[in-house]
Amino acid sequence: MDALELCYLSAGELSRMIKNKDVSPVEVVDAHLARIGETDRTLNSFITLLSEQAKAAARRAESEIQAGNYRGPLHGIPVGLKDLFNTGGVRTTSGSRIFDNFIPERDCTVAARFRQAGAILLGKLNMHPFAYGPTGENADYGHMHNPWNPELITGGSSGGSGSATAAGQCTITMGSDTGGSVRIPAALCGIVGLKPTYGLVSRYGLTPLSWCMDHPGPMTRTVEDTALAMNVIAGHDPNDVASARVEVPDYTTALTGDVRGLRIGIPKEFFESPLDPEVAAAVQQAIRQLEDLGAVTTEVSFPMFQHAQAISGTILMAEAAAYHRELLAKDGDKLYPPVRLRLEAGLFITAVDYLKAQQARSVFNLEARQLLNEVDLLIGPTEPVTAPPILAERVQAGDQTIGTTAALTHYTRPYNISGFPAISVPCGFSQAGLPIGLQLAGRPFDELTVLRAAHAYEQATNWRSRRPPI
Amino acid sequence: MPGDNPLNRDAFLYLAAQAGLDTASPHLAELYPYVVSVLSSVRALDDIDVGTNEPDLAFIPSPEAN
Repeated sequence: MDALELCYLSAGELSRMIKNKDVSPVEVVDAHLARIGETDRTLNSFITLLSEQAKAAARRAESEIQAGNYRGPLHGIPVGLKDLFNTGGVRTTSGSRIFDNFIPERDCTVAARFRQAGAILLGKLNMHPFAYGPTGENADYGHMHNPWNPELITGGSSGGSGSATAAGQCTITMGSDTGGSVRIPAALCGIVGLKPTYGLVSRYGLTPLSWCMDHPGPMTRTVEDTALAMNVIAGHDPNDVASARVEVPDYTTALTGDVRGLRIGIPKEFFESPLDPEVAAAVQQAIRQLEDLGAVTTEVSFPMFQHAQAISGTILMAEAAAYHRELLAKDGDKLYPPVRLRLEAGLFITAVDYLKAQQARSVFNLEARQLLNEVDLLIGPTEPVTAPPILAERVQAGDQTIGTTAALTHYTRPYNISGFPAISVPCGFSQAGLPIGLQLAGRPFDELTVLRAAHAYEQATNWRSRRPPI
Repeated sequence: MPGDNPLNRDAFLYLAAQAGLDTASPHLAELYPYVVSVLSSVRALDDIDVGTNEPDLAFIPSPEAN
């Protein structure tokens, strides 16, 4: 098998080959480093590449497996982490030159769990500075570029994670999602991105953006790989005050392909919002496909959806400003100007407005939970548009022109407010050859149902076989 | 209309100083209209009937912590 083919194998496929000693982790890592060498001048996915450390880790994995000490499905699998996941002994910049020399002493919990599972860290991935933006812009380390068309955005803030996964630079990456930052780049780069239930995956050792809405989540090319990653990273962590004490299932048990009888709600408000006709058509087609597989769909109403931007925007701005207040006073003039403006504006949100937003969140969540008493999942587009050009301030969504940030977070923010699990899975391509994402959301801690539906849809279609032209 | 402005410039400068920002910086000229626009959008919260619902705060101590 040639090196490029190795780079496009899923973690599931690679792990079976590694376990059977049909391929060595050394070959796998070498292939990925070569792929990064060929493509990263264009994509700019990486802030820090760990070539020598990765090669050494691959040799250790090879020795362990040869000696009969196979650790499990992620042993020898190349991974990348968004550069706000602390990595012991490896610099962690949060996407800003201000932290160019910050080297954490300890791994974050997610990095530690990947390491324990034998995954091989290839590097730290580019991101919107401090995760505060949905496009994947970065003046300090260079903007991220979409593998399907490098003149377009990856989406963000986990843009490097999106491009690295889509272009076969890494098999699994991690992003963090406060307003959509896992699902947005997943949709725009044509991959799978899961925002797990709030509290299911530890935030310990991640640079916060909004304490009550930050969700770390995996980004992969297949739903099976998302399940494999969740099997490693999900579960209680005493170091994270918001970490849930819940039983963690084997997420691969969701991969049955059977959605017969599953009740899926289609909020009518999703299709009354600004929406590109090609995106709307692809999502409607995906809904029909799930119906053909035996799912039962029904139109539902989600009136609080219209308030998602005001609720989540107010909470996010206040919490981000609170966390970064000292940084603003000390190094404000070194920040990426749009991020600086957002952070500083948060200083002017009053305590009364912050609490009003949290009260409104209660009302929002009550309505969302009632909806999920009627149905098992909610479905809709992940994004109203395909990837816009880098630095575009406005986008065309159907017959409306709207601000890029508002557009990109329109369908993703609701599930940061509610904390529900939500996945983006590829559901088609535009005439211009750009990926379109389908979003499925479920009840708190019911990732199994979310993954079951996403996997059944994925297996019934062939979108995952397309590769970006790079 | 002046009455629609959620924050006049003097109040903005006072609050900016309280927040530790350098009020002599020319950057404040860019920040002021941005803050006005943000605070105007926050007023969309007033359209939501929150009734007697309490704020949905994340940090609820677990029984083990008591």
